Amino acid sequence: MTVIGVYNIKGGVGKTATAINLAYLAAEEGRRTLVWDLDPQAAATYYFRVRPKVKGGSKALVRGKRALDTLIKGTDFDNLDLLPADFSFRNMDLALEDAKRPTERLSRLLTPLGEEYDYIFLDCPPSISLVSENIFRASDALLVPMIPTTLSTRTLDQLLAFLKGHDQPGEPRVMPLLTMVDHRKRLHLDLIERLPGQYPGLLDTHIPYASDVERMGVHRQPLPAYAPSSAAAMAYRALWEEIKSKL
Amino acid sequence: MAEIAHEYLIPDGIGSEDIKDLIRDRVRFTEDPAYEVTRRFLDSFDWRLYRAHAAVEERLDAGRRRLLWRDLRADVPPLMQDIDAEPGFAWDLHEGPVRDRLEPVLGVRRLLPLSEVWSRVQPLRLLDEDDKTVVRLVLEDNRFRAPDRDREGTLAARICLVPVRGYAADLRKTARMLNQDLGLEPAGTGVLPEALAAVGRRPGDYSSKLDYHLDPDQRADAAAKEILRGLLATLEANLEGTKANLDSEFLHDLRVATRRTRSALTQIKGVFAPDLVENYKTRFAWVQQITGPVRDLDVYLLDFDGYQACLPAPLQPGLDPLQEFLQAHYEDTHQTLAHALESAKFRDLLTSWRGFLETPVPERSAIRNAMRPTKEVADARIWSMYRRVRKAGRAIALNSPAPELHELRKHCKKLRYLLEFFGSLYPKPQVGTLVKVLKGLLNNLGKFQDLAVQANYLRETARRMHAAGSAETDTLLAMGSLVGDLFNRQRQARVEFSGRFADFDSEATQAVIRDLFAPARKRGQRS
Repeated sequence: MTVIGVYNIKGGVGKTATAINLAYLAAEEGRRTLVWDLDPQAAATYYFRVRPKVKGGSKALVRGKRALDTLIKGTDFDNLDLLPADFSFRNMDLALEDAKRPTERLSRLLTPLGEEYDYIFLDCPPSISLVSENIFRASDALLVPMIPTTLSTRTLDQLLAFLKGHDQPGEPRVMPLLTMVDHRKRLHLDLIERLPGQYPGLLDTHIPYASDVERMGVHRQPLPAYAPSSAAAMAYRALWEEIKSKL
Repeated sequence: MAEIAHEYLIPDGIGSEDIKDLIRDRVRFTEDPAYEVTRRFLDSFDWRLYRAHAAVEERLDAGRRRLLWRDLRADVPPLMQDIDAEPGFAWDLHEGPVRDRLEPVLGVRRLLPLSEVWSRVQPLRLLDEDDKTVVRLVLEDNRFRAPDRDREGTLAARICLVPVRGYAADLRKTARMLNQDLGLEPAGTGVLPEALAAVGRRPGDYSSKLDYHLDPDQRADAAAKEILRGLLATLEANLEGTKANLDSEFLHDLRVATRRTRSALTQIKGVFAPDLVENYKTRFAWVQQITGPVRDLDVYLLDFDGYQACLPAPLQPGLDPLQEFLQAHYEDTHQTLAHALESAKFRDLLTSWRGFLETPVPERSAIRNAMRPTKEVADARIWSMYRRVRKAGRAIALNSPAPELHELRKHCKKLRYLLEFFGSLYPKPQVGTLVKVLKGLLNNLGKFQDLAVQANYLRETARRMHAAGSAETDTLLAMGSLVGDLFNRQRQARVEFSGRFADFDSEATQAVIRDLFAPARKRGQRS
């Protein structure tokens, strides 16, 4: 089982799109794949047409009262399952604080799923919190989607500084990647040029800004399922290949 | 690919469209594109997968060729791996989850197609109000075909219910709809077992193990014929596979059936006319002889990696020319065997033998044991053979010459076969224990003899290779080292003999044998 966290302190950078499109591609290859929607906004859950409801909410879940595998829902796609979000996830921090070893809770909850899944994608809420710390602990790789803007690089610096400050064994491999790239924008082009030198871990593939991606909310499907040969779907395929080669 | 939860049969005369209309009246669904799939049900000739509670299927759909492994005892999705050629031996498959499971179960046997199902599949997805799939339905029109294509036909159409995880209530509701509202009958078995039955096969319908159910009061000559008919059936069952060389076990089983036939002929004494026994004994000895050379090559080639591994690393490559030499001779040797098995001499043997075995025994027979009850004859034969084994075994000392151990092995084999032929006349646990102890002893004696035979065969092969100019010095050295190793292992087996024989000659074993087989006056006595 490989756990891939998709995370950024900032919201609206394409985390959910990245998580579910990559998960779809992994499942399409025959890999048993799970998406865990940890964001109370429940965007991934919405895309898969599942009701955002977890019995007992984040409290029961964090306390281990309900085994994760009883909460899992099959999506419309082979090999691809979802652990849906719940509005109570906004208070997950509080539930975690009450738990023993609060930063390792999610990692422990995931362990029993190791036999069942080849890949688990964590679609993470923005902000930096106890939930994020759990995600860093649980993930083998941390994908950090970011729009090429100055503000984005600032939040990436914040994240890297945070991880450095909490140096611990089994720290995830950080893989920043550029999303919503608009080739008509001078600033985007400049940053594409400049950032690889600044961040050696930055993935080569970037995801273009495309209305096809925005329409995921209309289709309520992963992009490669309804527009398999669109430029953005191709970019996600290339991205998945690159990630696999670095895992 | 999720597992099917329920399957229902669609009655004759109702088409897919009718079924869809009936479902449409009750629930909302969408149709995915229809597709065709061919599934081949595979197992080894002796049903190794079935006996290991597994089922393997080759699946061809949408240009994709896959091998699926199902664990029949666990409710888990099948393991899958892509393949690019007809599946045969486990070692020829690419690395993958199915190969990992197959290899230890299949061993040296080849996967063979047992039946084929061709299906036109229409997947339906039942939707909730958010258009989320909550249950999958699969409509299948199925046709079957035997692997040799001599039988084919239509199977009942089916509708399969495939669960979506986390939507158990919808699954139950749909099952009720199909079963109660539409009145569809649940299918008793999956489509592959149905196809298997349609081509006239039954899981486990072949085994090289003996399984007789003899009547103790039956006349001994009739029981002997029954035993021999069973052996002939095994021999014939393995004939085609041997001729086509599908895998090495066909020939092996054929040879074992031949050896058992000769043993039954000579060891169930005094039930048939002596000249008839002599005649068939000689003719089956010929079968044993013509099948020997291929078996010898099989033994070496199957175990070649093992031979190589027991040499020191620098010598190992030296053995490669030996493998090439053996392989080069394989084709010709097998051809010779196949010709012999197709010869009039062989055909006549089987025809006349079957004729004899199928002729009812004469009403009266003057031959000594022919009309005695089977149990009486079996008791006497087993008891006498046991005493021979015991006497020969006890006479063996550390310095006894090898031929004495070879003789003992022959007696042991005869005793084992007698126990297996007549096992059904005695309590199963006791006979099972005896056969097990005897097998331990036979393994030891077999090792002792076979290792020497192998070492001598290698020496002979080295001479032939040298004469043919196909052995460099390195090869001869490697072979020499291997011969040395074989002789060492043979010595080891010799050392282990006394322990194995002691197991057989233990008080406990003696008591069991005496109680089961000794003449009445001796039962219950201590020896």
